[in-house]
Amino acid sequence: MGFLGKGLFEGMVVTARNFVGSYYDKDRLVTVQYPEERVQVPENSRTFPFLVYDSDKDLAGTMRCVACKICEVECPPQCIYIVMDRDEKGKPQQRPKVFDIDISVCMQCQICVEVCPFEAIKMDNDYEKSKYGRFDDLVEHLPDLLKSNAYYHKVKPTEATAVDAKLKAEAEKKAKKAAPAAKPAAAPKPAAAAAGTAATTPAKIAIPEDAPFTPEQREWLGKYLTTASVGATPATAKPAAEAPAEAAPSEAPSGDAPWHDPGMGMQQRMELAKDKPFADNLMAAMAQTDCHACGYDCRGYADAIAGGSEKDLSLCLPGEAETQQMLEKLMKDAGKT
Amino acid sequence: MNAAFWIISAITVIGAVMAVTMRNLVHCVLALILFFLGIAGHYFLLRADFLAVVQILLYIGAVAVLILFAIMLTRHVTGTEGPSELGGKWWAGMGTAIIIAGLLWWVIGRDAVMSMLPAGEAKTSVVEIGKALISDWVVPFEVLGVLLTAALIGAVVIALEEVIRRR
Amino acid sequence: METIYQALRSWFANAPDGVLRGVAIAIPILFIIMVFPLIFAFTTLVERKALGRIQNRYGPNRVGRWGILQPIADGLKLVLKEDIVPAKADKVVHFLAPVIAVIPSLLLFSVLPIAPGLVPVDLNIGILFVFAISTASVLALFMGGWASRNKFSLLGAMRAVAQVVSYEVPMVLSAVAVVMAAGSLSTVTIIHAQSGGVLNVTGWFVFRPWGLVGFVLFTIGAMAESARTPFDIPEAESEIIAGYHTEYSSFKFALFQMGEYLASIAMAGISVTMFLGGYLGPGSGPGLFGGLISMFWFFLKLAAMIMTIIWIRGTWPRVRVDQLLAFAWKVLLPMSIINIVAVGLWRFLQPRPLAWVLTTVWVVGWFILLTKLSATEKIQKREYRYIT
Repeated sequence: MGFLGKGLFEGMVVTARNFVGSYYDKDRLVTVQYPEERVQVPENSRTFPFLVYDSDKDLAGTMRCVACKICEVECPPQCIYIVMDRDEKGKPQQRPKVFDIDISVCMQCQICVEVCPFEAIKMDNDYEKSKYGRFDDLVEHLPDLLKSNAYYHKVKPTEATAVDAKLKAEAEKKAKKAAPAAKPAAAPKPAAAAAGTAATTPAKIAIPEDAPFTPEQREWLGKYLTTASVGATPATAKPAAEAPAEAAPSEAPSGDAPWHDPGMGMQQRMELAKDKPFADNLMAAMAQTDCHACGYDCRGYADAIAGGSEKDLSLCLPGEAETQQMLEKLMKDAGKT
Repeated sequence: MNAAFWIISAITVIGAVMAVTMRNLVHCVLALILFFLGIAGHYFLLRADFLAVVQILLYIGAVAVLILFAIMLTRHVTGTEGPSELGGKWWAGMGTAIIIAGLLWWVIGRDAVMSMLPAGEAKTSVVEIGKALISDWVVPFEVLGVLLTAALIGAVVIALEEVIRRR
Repeated sequence: METIYQALRSWFANAPDGVLRGVAIAIPILFIIMVFPLIFAFTTLVERKALGRIQNRYGPNRVGRWGILQPIADGLKLVLKEDIVPAKADKVVHFLAPVIAVIPSLLLFSVLPIAPGLVPVDLNIGILFVFAISTASVLALFMGGWASRNKFSLLGAMRAVAQVVSYEVPMVLSAVAVVMAAGSLSTVTIIHAQSGGVLNVTGWFVFRPWGLVGFVLFTIGAMAESARTPFDIPEAESEIIAGYHTEYSSFKFALFQMGEYLASIAMAGISVTMFLGGYLGPGSGPGLFGGLISMFWFFLKLAAMIMTIIWIRGTWPRVRVDQLLAFAWKVLLPMSIINIVAVGLWRFLQPRPLAWVLTTVWVVGWFILLTKLSATEKIQKREYRYIT
């Protein structure tokens, strides 16, 4: 039966049903009563980055971040600021002293997570980041950023489990690699560690001060001799050099490598390593963060390239194009391309 | 009663003066409304409730609103300065006012006019007004009705011509 | 007022007469000034909650239990906000508009009888007074819209004036039917005319053929007059921001809202008085006990009317401007005139059943005819040109 205004009354019935129904049928009320109830955030959602550490007991020691600054370099809006920690002698420690993220600048792109070789920085899904201050309050410092691996498991279980499995597999691989090397390395460890220096010393002596060479020729000769002498050792020296680096990350010989300082510019580093052997030159071209993004520490990567076992020159992520170009130039100069 | 009379009279006079002297057209109409209100107050004082309410309903609710609506449709809606219509004719207006006041004074003062009013208490209740309108005053009432209908039809015809011309 | 005076006289026999008269005048005034704004405040809460429930939401539920203190919070917020007057605004008119918006709305309550003998002023022209005052409220809308010096405000004001002037006519004419049946313009007499019948209920004018029509017409007119939702084009948010109160903030805005809601509540009260028997109901009558029951019935009916208005607001979409005016002049106005004829028939046809049948046929027949006439275009399934 149709009459004028029928639709109006049908509408009234619908709203009346809603009105009464909302008191009896709780499913009708879709509102989430926010402070008391919360929406279950999907696991893949993301807000701002945080830093993962493994153990509450040794926070500084189990912090996964090694202050390699890859994320700082890669961050598109440049909201990350990192300063590497140093001990009292000025020796770089493999952990950040300052790690700031300005969440008012961060655009939540997750690129820092993608580039981190250590699974140290991850995206949180905590959306309650409102603060009272407009400036300083929105900069998250290291203590705010550090969250335990357990927390990571809580917010993103699937991802965290995968990451744990990956890290475990890597650790096992390294342990396996280190195991055969451990026996021979046990004795020649100091010798192997000093392989670089041992190889460079005769190379320097090989050209007498009074020899009739121009500086250019002298440099070339030095490089040549170094590669010649080092090139004989890498087969044994490489695993040996890597093993101790894994065992004791701070073993990088700072005394012998004054350029081993991430704060230094490329030019200054190259200047310092100018008269050093070829491997040292290569090392000086690295970003000096010992980030292991390449699979070695800086010394190891340089040795591997110099020894010819590593052909890829683009592995140094923190150094970016600058390092790669310098490495290519050095290799070209050394005639090794 | 006396105090109320003087207050309401003051409001009425102020409203009337403002209505003719103000420059802004809308302010004039608002002052005119104040004046109408004062008149309605006088009707209330005279115990003519019906007339007072009709004064508000028709003069404020209809006439003034119509004037305001017309002003809103004109160009000078938001202009503060309207042209001064008085100009040099100020004295002419004054003279007219004096003549009208004199005439009123003369008419009210004459017994011939005042004796036409019914003796005793004036009948102001709705029922009595209604009865009077359709018995004693039925002819003027109907004539007025015809007149207003004619005016209405005239307005419609004018508007229709406009519509037809546009098409 | 007289009832209050008599009661005071009987309680304080020794008090001077002048004081008692003064108190008897002050009590209704205080009642109007305090109780109805309170009702307004809680109407806003009830409206928001009911609209929420209609849309399957909770509505305000944070301030106090069930959000019961929300009106107070809203009021405080509005008072504490900055009062902004546009630089080019007409300062005096801009200031006066919200004041004028509230006064007529409060005056409307002065003729509402809430119990036998409890009416602030028993004017013998009560209903006419209501219409005169409610028309005056359009002035506030115009002043607010014009003084803001804002296009949207002015548009809103123009719409408000056109709408109020249009809907005034059918509203008054539908009230004329009631006045004819009751034989008086006084609200008290109109309620008296509705007493009797079964349980004091069947005498209500809404249970007459012409009364039902009049009730519907009057409610529509009242809703349009107070710019309630299906007719809220003067403040249509989606078109002209907030209409005439676009440029109002702080307490002036609150006053506008208050005036609007109070007018709406008062119109609901007038509607209850004219068609739903006012305070009449089972058990209502003079005396303290009967008076309390009468008051209960009055406020119950008022609440029911307000809820219906809110329900309508939660359901129906806003009408278009041309539809709004066409509806007033082409449907409501003819229907209200036809309704007046129906009351005449009702009054003079003597055997009651005959009057019932004839008036019903008269009203329903005209309604059908009108709807057939006003349906200028046939509603059919829409055809889309670009969709195959």
